[in-house]
Amino acid sequence: MLVLAIVMVMPFLWMISTSLKTPAEVFKYPIEWIPSNPTWEHHVKVWSGTKSFGTYYLNSLKISLIGTIGATFLSAFAAYGFSRIEFKGRNGLFMLYLSMMMIPPQVLFVPKFIMFEWAGIYNTHWALILPAMFTIFGVFMLRQFFLSIPHEISESAFIDGAGHFRIFFRLVLPLAKPALATLAIIDFSWHWNDYENALVFLIDENLYTIPLGLQNFILENMVDYNGMMAAASAAIIPMIVVFAIGQRYIIQGLTNSAVKG
Amino acid sequence: MRKKGWLAGFVSLVLIASVMSGCSGGGSNGKAELSDAKAAGAVVKLKMWGGVPPEAGPQEVLDDWNKDHPEIQVEYVRYVNDDEGNLKLDTAIMTGQDVDLFVNYSASQATKRVTSGVAADLSTLTDYNIDEKMGPEAENWKIDGKFYGVPTTKSSYFVALNKDALDAANLPVPKDWTWEEMMEYAKKLKQGDGYGFIQNTEPFVDPIDSVLAKEGYTKADGTSNLDHPLVRKWLESLNVMMKNDATTAPLGEQLTSKMPVEQMFLSGEVPMLNIGAWLLRSSNNFTDYPRDFKIAFAPVPRLAEDAANHMTRGGLGDYISINAKSKHQQEAWEFLKWYADGGMSPMAAGGRLPASKDADQEAALKSMLGDKGDTYDQESLMYVMFDNKTPTYVRTVPQEVMDLRSQEYEKYFLDSQDIDTTMAEMVKRHNEYLKSNPQK
Amino acid sequence: MTNNWMRRQQRLGYIFIGPSMIGVLLFFLIPAAYSLGLVFTDYKFMNPNVGFVGFDNINRMLHDKLFYLSLKNTVIFLLAVPVSLALGFVVAVILNQRIYLKKVLRALYFMPYITSGVAVSFVWMLLFQPKQGPINGFLRAIGIDHPPGWLSTTTSSMFAIDIIWIWFLMGYNMIIYLAALQEVSPELLEAAKIDGARPGQMLRKIIWPLVSPTSFLLLVTGMIMTIKTFGIIQATTQGGPGNSTTILSLYVYQNAFRYYEMGYASTISWALFIIILIITAIQWIGQKRWVHY
Repeated sequence: MLVLAIVMVMPFLWMISTSLKTPAEVFKYPIEWIPSNPTWEHHVKVWSGTKSFGTYYLNSLKISLIGTIGATFLSAFAAYGFSRIEFKGRNGLFMLYLSMMMIPPQVLFVPKFIMFEWAGIYNTHWALILPAMFTIFGVFMLRQFFLSIPHEISESAFIDGAGHFRIFFRLVLPLAKPALATLAIIDFSWHWNDYENALVFLIDENLYTIPLGLQNFILENMVDYNGMMAAASAAIIPMIVVFAIGQRYIIQGLTNSAVKG
Repeated sequence: MRKKGWLAGFVSLVLIASVMSGCSGGGSNGKAELSDAKAAGAVVKLKMWGGVPPEAGPQEVLDDWNKDHPEIQVEYVRYVNDDEGNLKLDTAIMTGQDVDLFVNYSASQATKRVTSGVAADLSTLTDYNIDEKMGPEAENWKIDGKFYGVPTTKSSYFVALNKDALDAANLPVPKDWTWEEMMEYAKKLKQGDGYGFIQNTEPFVDPIDSVLAKEGYTKADGTSNLDHPLVRKWLESLNVMMKNDATTAPLGEQLTSKMPVEQMFLSGEVPMLNIGAWLLRSSNNFTDYPRDFKIAFAPVPRLAEDAANHMTRGGLGDYISINAKSKHQQEAWEFLKWYADGGMSPMAAGGRLPASKDADQEAALKSMLGDKGDTYDQESLMYVMFDNKTPTYVRTVPQEVMDLRSQEYEKYFLDSQDIDTTMAEMVKRHNEYLKSNPQK
Repeated sequence: MTNNWMRRQQRLGYIFIGPSMIGVLLFFLIPAAYSLGLVFTDYKFMNPNVGFVGFDNINRMLHDKLFYLSLKNTVIFLLAVPVSLALGFVVAVILNQRIYLKKVLRALYFMPYITSGVAVSFVWMLLFQPKQGPINGFLRAIGIDHPPGWLSTTTSSMFAIDIIWIWFLMGYNMIIYLAALQEVSPELLEAAKIDGARPGQMLRKIIWPLVSPTSFLLLVTGMIMTIKTFGIIQATTQGGPGNSTTILSLYVYQNAFRYYEMGYASTISWALFIIILIITAIQWIGQKRWVHY
């Protein structure tokens, strides 16, 4: 397990070690995992100077947080509708949803671009946040989870006179905490690392997100890997925080399931 | 019942709409502040998009201009000159509001923008004669006989040589050489397991283009000319270098290790490097690339025996266009003229020498070499940059053709396809391309 | 009464999915319809002159050798999905036990998902380096004289990409499986243990069926994700060497944003859409055999 785990973190280690190396050491063989003369200059460079990463950081945080909260909530709502309410056209609609997930995103850029411009949100953060709130994957994932919550639970609640809204908020959501936390983690990482949407829909440099900021390290005919990896290592911290918080909820589910069993 | 369902839908629609209008309100508020600032002194703000990182020259150029021209302030927006970066520039141009000037780095990019009608026709502006200022090589940048931009830099391609290694092996710095002669040099200079000659993938195909730019990419009957005997010769010679002589990196190794060729050359590991003027930026940087030898320069070797018919890649570059939708074309034009006539000289430190005859070449050259002048063999540098009178070409091959060529020759160098199949496939695919894109 | 109740259900259903429907309509359905229209045009990005070309693009695609080659590469790429699914499941089950360093290990397995893509691709390129890379160094050390060229040959490159992708998807599958495993009540497992079930049996007969809705989710979305992605290839081989790692999604991307052939790119992506649709439909029909809700 531990050996496999090391394979999993290898790129991460390389990222950190490269951020402490000099350019000449980056591509040396055998790979130096621990730099002989570590230097912090690249990290300093990332956070100081005219193009500090601070702005990109805040922008990314704003977009990813709003997007993730919105997406998790809206997905849960829709997933409940798709899994626990019987209504006409439900399966057809769900298939439509699924099929929309299959469209390659590159093809949607041009029409989205025209739409955003028309709505006046091109080159604003809303061009990233609004679409981010709708994730078909999230609906699908939560639907699968809600389906496996025993029906007897809601049936007894119905008999007690509870409506769908109460069942949703009081029963299903608490039971689905592990799934919600997982979705939030995954969704956050998508928004956090989203490069293409940010590239196409943002122009002003003070609106840039971290993935766009990393492009600053691509020089004309070469790449400043040390600087890029220094910035990328800093970019990973919020992800770790989100994961740490999320993991607690995933485990909390254990105690909940005991109640339900 | 039905009505209520509709109501719910309507409410949510209104909700979304209000969220959206809220955001657009936010967006335009931001813009309003900007235009307030503009109104204060009736300052015209221009945006120039370029691919060079601002600290490598552009920022200094713009600071110089902005200081002297308070009424026209130019701001620099950097895009990365790759597929994604060009896409970003093009989407920005399509909105018609955020781009006034943009730099094209290849003729095919420029052509694409001109046919889309986003580059202003500069031939109507008569107060600046581009042909006269930039010399005969500007001709390469005319699109359908007109200028849609100003080529501003001299772009030189050359083979950088480790002078100390050449001296030790008793080899002169060549002023004109064939591919075979270069292969001999590589064998003599090679040390142990090391290579004698390396190159980036960017100028990799230049020898073929040197031939075809002269002889035409298509034959008289309109079919592909990629089966030219010199194309085959290029394939075979490089193959010999990679496999028999082991004087250059096998392609597989080069592609998968992202070989840092500049660093390999500057550290003294490999004595010959096929590159362009951009090398100067790293070769002047002794902090990151310490170096203890002198660099000399030679023209790119030719495949053809006959020197008289040879063409070499180079000429002019950095083709700057004015957005046809820009509201400030006049101001942009004023700036562009100033830029081309020497305003751009701070860019020289990054290997970009001004092309205009009115720019101070001497000063630019000095700023290009900085305090590292002694570490170059200046005579050969002057030769490849200025004195070499070999006619030049600008690569105009469409991206599709570049790609289909490289896909086929990669298979050859990696031994998954023999030379005859490679030649045949290249020709076949090129012909298919020509058929579906008949304009050329 | 029942009729009334049914109607209320109907309305409630729409209320629950309504907000998300609007987003799907705006950000997926309308743009998708637009792109379907592009299939019949020669639209080049930026160029205002758009002509109607009928079925030319479709015809071109059906005669395009590169299209078929990318299709073949896509199929090889898809092999990574079931493999990573199985691995992710096993790892999740192990990490769900009371084992030492569990929390840390979980975090480590999630690392690929959050590490910068550039770092990921570079490390793999360094690891796979045929001459000096550690993987081949190891293979030579255990007596394999001619280890594969991995990313550097046209025959092995797609499989090397598969390995990277398995590595990447595994952590993601594991995380979602972990969440699903929380629903498996420990009492049930305890009872099975008392009844004398062996660990392998428990895994196959109890845990696997219980998480089958999640497996179905991961299989379907994993396939879709894999078919749509190309970032990992763009960062390592750009589809090469030759065109040995050009998969359909990368081919769409190149046509759209390298050659600006929007009409043709739309055509290929609609072909891609139909392929995914068929695969998903097969999985949907097949799920009745093994997915237990």
